[in-house]
Amino acid sequence: MKTSNFTPIGSLRPFGGVIPNERIIMETVSLNINGEQHAVLVEKNYTLLYVLREMLNITGPKEGCSTGDCGTCKVLIDGQAKNACTTLAIRCEDKEIVTIEGIAINGDLHPLQTSFVKKGAVQCGFCTPGMIISAKALLDENEKPSREEVRQALDNNLCRCTGYVKIVDAIEDAAAKMRGENHE
Amino acid sequence: MNKDLSLVGTSQPIYDAYNKVTGKACYTGDMRLPHMLYGKLVLSTEAHAKVLSIDTTEAMKVPGVKAIATPFNTPNKKYNSALRFIDHDIPRTESVFSETVRFVGDRVCAVAAIDRKTAEKAALLIKVEYEPLPSLLTIEDALTDGAVQLHEEVANRLNSIKNEVGDVEEGFAKADQIFEDEYQTSIVSPMALENHVSIADYDDQGRLTVYSSTQNAFSVRNILSDVFEMPQSKVRVVKPTLGGAFGSKIPAVLEGPAAALSMMTHRPVRIDLTRKENLIASRTRHGSIVRLKTGVMNDGRIVAQTYDVLTNTGAYVGSAYNVVGAMSHKVFKTYNIPNMRYVGTPVLTNLPIAGAQRGYGSPQAIFAQQRQLHQIAKRLNIDIVELQKKNLVRPEDVDIQQVGNPRPYDCMVRGMTLFDWEKKLLWKKNQKNKNDGDLKKEQTESNRTKRRGIGFAIGCHGNGVFGAHRDFIALRLKMNDDGTFVLESGTHDMGNSLITSQMMLVAEVLKTDLDDIHVVEADTDHTPWNLGDYSSRGVFVTGGGCLKVAGKMKEQILDLAAEMMQASRSDLMLAPGKNVVDKNGRIVSFQDILIYSHSVHQRDILAQTTYASQAGRTSFGAHFAQVEVDITTGEVDILDYAAVHDVGQVINLLSLEGQLEGGIQMGLGYGLSEEMTFDEKGSLINNNLKKYKMFKASQMPEIKIDFIEEGESPGPYGGKSIGECATVPVAPAIINAVADALDYDFHAIPVKPECIKKIND
Repeated sequence: MKTSNFTPIGSLRPFGGVIPNERIIMETVSLNINGEQHAVLVEKNYTLLYVLREMLNITGPKEGCSTGDCGTCKVLIDGQAKNACTTLAIRCEDKEIVTIEGIAINGDLHPLQTSFVKKGAVQCGFCTPGMIISAKALLDENEKPSREEVRQALDNNLCRCTGYVKIVDAIEDAAAKMRGENHE
Repeated sequence: MNKDLSLVGTSQPIYDAYNKVTGKACYTGDMRLPHMLYGKLVLSTEAHAKVLSIDTTEAMKVPGVKAIATPFNTPNKKYNSALRFIDHDIPRTESVFSETVRFVGDRVCAVAAIDRKTAEKAALLIKVEYEPLPSLLTIEDALTDGAVQLHEEVANRLNSIKNEVGDVEEGFAKADQIFEDEYQTSIVSPMALENHVSIADYDDQGRLTVYSSTQNAFSVRNILSDVFEMPQSKVRVVKPTLGGAFGSKIPAVLEGPAAALSMMTHRPVRIDLTRKENLIASRTRHGSIVRLKTGVMNDGRIVAQTYDVLTNTGAYVGSAYNVVGAMSHKVFKTYNIPNMRYVGTPVLTNLPIAGAQRGYGSPQAIFAQQRQLHQIAKRLNIDIVELQKKNLVRPEDVDIQQVGNPRPYDCMVRGMTLFDWEKKLLWKKNQKNKNDGDLKKEQTESNRTKRRGIGFAIGCHGNGVFGAHRDFIALRLKMNDDGTFVLESGTHDMGNSLITSQMMLVAEVLKTDLDDIHVVEADTDHTPWNLGDYSSRGVFVTGGGCLKVAGKMKEQILDLAAEMMQASRSDLMLAPGKNVVDKNGRIVSFQDILIYSHSVHQRDILAQTTYASQAGRTSFGAHFAQVEVDITTGEVDILDYAAVHDVGQVINLLSLEGQLEGGIQMGLGYGLSEEMTFDEKGSLINNNLKKYKMFKASQMPEIKIDFIEEGESPGPYGGKSIGECATVPVAPAIINAVADALDYDFHAIPVKPECIKKIND
């Protein structure tokens, strides 16, 4: 069986359905992920999540829903927390993409990461990368959010294990550390 | 409880927390094996139909497609995905792929291709020809005379499970009043954030290795070896990091299809489900109809009670009997009712397969139980607290050997204080006593449409499956060359700190640091047999096993130390830091002892044991809620929430709190917003996470929690479970509060905004 990507058999529309005998068009996109450049060959409809997980083996961002509703795929794009599952890869050229793998700097954990560990905000961990990304985007904007504001910032991040309680605790704890208030 | 403990009772992060916060933790879906293929399932679009043909010609032409597995080219041996042990006698109605599909989402066939995009393209080109059959989408449909029989082997109305104590007819005859109510609970999704995923790797030695998001490696091995007729020496099942389960990952779901494709291609094949697929093609929580008849004396004593339960078990038998069977014990645990009868009957329908979900029948039955109790209090004009007091089981009422140390009463009393029940009740009473004029004066624009209410509920759940069938775990503890340890434990941690608890228990016994113990999780090649991680057996059974195996290791250490030090055994003690010390202060380290054993005796230091559950014990919890309901929008705002659980002895405080908080999130959704709704064709209408409404962070109340630690022997250090019990009291507590706010009797959950708005209209 031939394994060429360019035989004109059909091509998938973004939301299902096959167009027979249409040539598959692929283009190169250069992605800056966690400070490294990656050149990838993608179809127009490839999501950033697909490229990260299936093509580049960057598996920190997870696929919980594919519809932008659960937040497990969140990454920072130019500092904003975005769902990689609803972001097209070709639109990401020239953007700074940071995944959970890029949150620790030179092996030093971000205060959010240590707070999540210490405050028990991690159970199964599947929502954790997305939660930390959303939390980082929040704390980079607002250094002293109220508990209400933290909850609102997590409106697009679902968790089934923690009831969100210790996640909110951890974000508050990290915010205090980042303000220089917590000396543990 | 026990002040001599150094680790047990402390707060410890989950053992792999650091890997999880950096993205390094490797879940099944993150694994990449050499030459791995991607598998895509084709699911039925019919609720009930014969598959006449599957045309794969076009699909096979797509470059990169390696194999297509169908019911016609794979083993069709029937199995039960919820099989718990090799001789478990439960009806077998499932197959790897279905020649007759019985629900929208049933497995028709699967494609293996070089990457996901190719597999998806090919799957869309497969043409399935169905011959539709009549379909049954509700319990009522399935029980109608002349309804089509969904399986050859069994009737749609499966056998009933019964349990009885005393004489209910006599009891009802004595009762001053009898209340009969019917309650309905919806079909919901366990909704673990990680979708089901399995990787099957069939190598050229004929050995099948399966990495799977499972709670049940040994059962999966049993099923695979049976269906594919392979000796178990050729089948290995491994559990990687698991992204939540809540029971949905107990049954074998994707392992069979993945194995079939791997055997056809001799390459590893990974199949995962998208969320849309997972909602229908994994497992749901049984919907239920509960008919509750309760006979009471005018002073509130319950003298007789019967439960008649019908569960909607979906298209295949699966866990049907397990769930009604579990329910058949749980309803008896909380109260001193002398005459009771339970009858639970699962019913097959053409809907997604119902399976295990946190609470396993208790959320359904206890919702009815606690809802009705609340209403009975109103009907008898008795304070609900007094009514509970009159009937709650106390430790002195029961045979401690048989039943243990049940503390629902303590939970209620402590919870009332934590929640400030009396103060809130008084406020309500005062509001009631105010005349309309005064009330109108208090009303503002914003609170005119708001109604406040309070409610509580007491729930229970078990600790393993003692009494139902075998309940044991085998464990092996090995000393490393430097005196640290590896525990081979066959456990499936799903974020619930099972592993961390085991580390804490072993380290407690051996007086080491947590980091001195490494635990190997379920791998049928490398860990001894474990029943599976469900039924909340992790602390009570597996934990008990950890104490036993650590105790055996301690004996070996002390025996060797006595020999080494030429001391009397009774003069020796374990000391922190992996040491043994004698009464004169002489110290030898575990490493010294290991070297001694290796060099002098050429004998390794390892301890192995099997631990069977010693007793059936019950965990309890009391949950309190205060709500403010907007009668025009139907929105329920939770103003205050408190939960107190009877756990015997806290093992890992951080995890215990986290489990309870998570259980509350699940229960709130169960009560107020979660529901799987199907159209007339049996398709799931709310098939994504926009439309399937789980509680978000902004909807959760601040929660006050506490624990009752009065010990539960023979739990490890007196500990017992919270995992499932955490979610049982939630829905009835919140609905009792909403019912109080609206002065309305609810009989079904979820109570969505639309329901509340209808009442107002």
